[in-house]
Amino acid sequence: MIRLQQDDFNVTTLVEAAKSRETGAIVTFIGIVRDDGIECMELEAYHEVAERELAVIRDEAMKEFPLHSVDIIHRTGPLRVGDNIVLIVVSAGHRKEAFLGCEYIIDRLKQTVPIWKKEYLKDSSRWVGGEERHGHS
Amino acid sequence: MIVRIKAFARFREIIGSENTLDLDEGTPVLGALKNLSAGSKDFRDACFDREGTIASHVVLMINGKRISGRDRESMVLHDGDELAIFPPVAGG
Repeated sequence: MIRLQQDDFNVTTLVEAAKSRETGAIVTFIGIVRDDGIECMELEAYHEVAERELAVIRDEAMKEFPLHSVDIIHRTGPLRVGDNIVLIVVSAGHRKEAFLGCEYIIDRLKQTVPIWKKEYLKDSSRWVGGEERHGHS
Repeated sequence: MIVRIKAFARFREIIGSENTLDLDEGTPVLGALKNLSAGSKDFRDACFDREGTIASHVVLMINGKRISGRDRESMVLHDGDELAIFPPVAGG
């Protein structure tokens, strides 16, 4: 499953759905709103492109590593400290490829998928700087 | 020709999420962005560096595909294209 959504996700449901008789390892990554002195944050996305790029990253990961399944759910809209932002569920036959696949996916997501965060502090707000490479390449 | 401009994050805050430009056939990306700059100093300051070239941190897409490299300014737009402009991404 690849999806952008406002609602929270159910981790247990997705982990159970990722299991098969061949599954030996499932690695999950959950990104969470950290308290950096903020009141809340707003996530914005270029929806149609973001979902397409998430699917590309899933396909890249499955080509690079022997994974059985990949699910990525990214939330948009207003979020508070402690709220879930993103869930990645990677299933594989063995732990090593599951860990590597999951790390690959979150690193690529942060570099390329058009999603932005605006943090709201008590008296101000700020856009979060990204990890995308700058410049003409 | 009609070109749709989609702006995100701080660019959206300056010019709104969606604009439609009626441009001459063969207008390049630079021309479309200068057209938008004519109506907004804030947009011009956010989009261009002091030399008048598109700032290196500005990310551009045509029809959902990134355009990069030194020639991105001169890429020609076509009727019905969607040009997206945004800052570096920060998801996850």
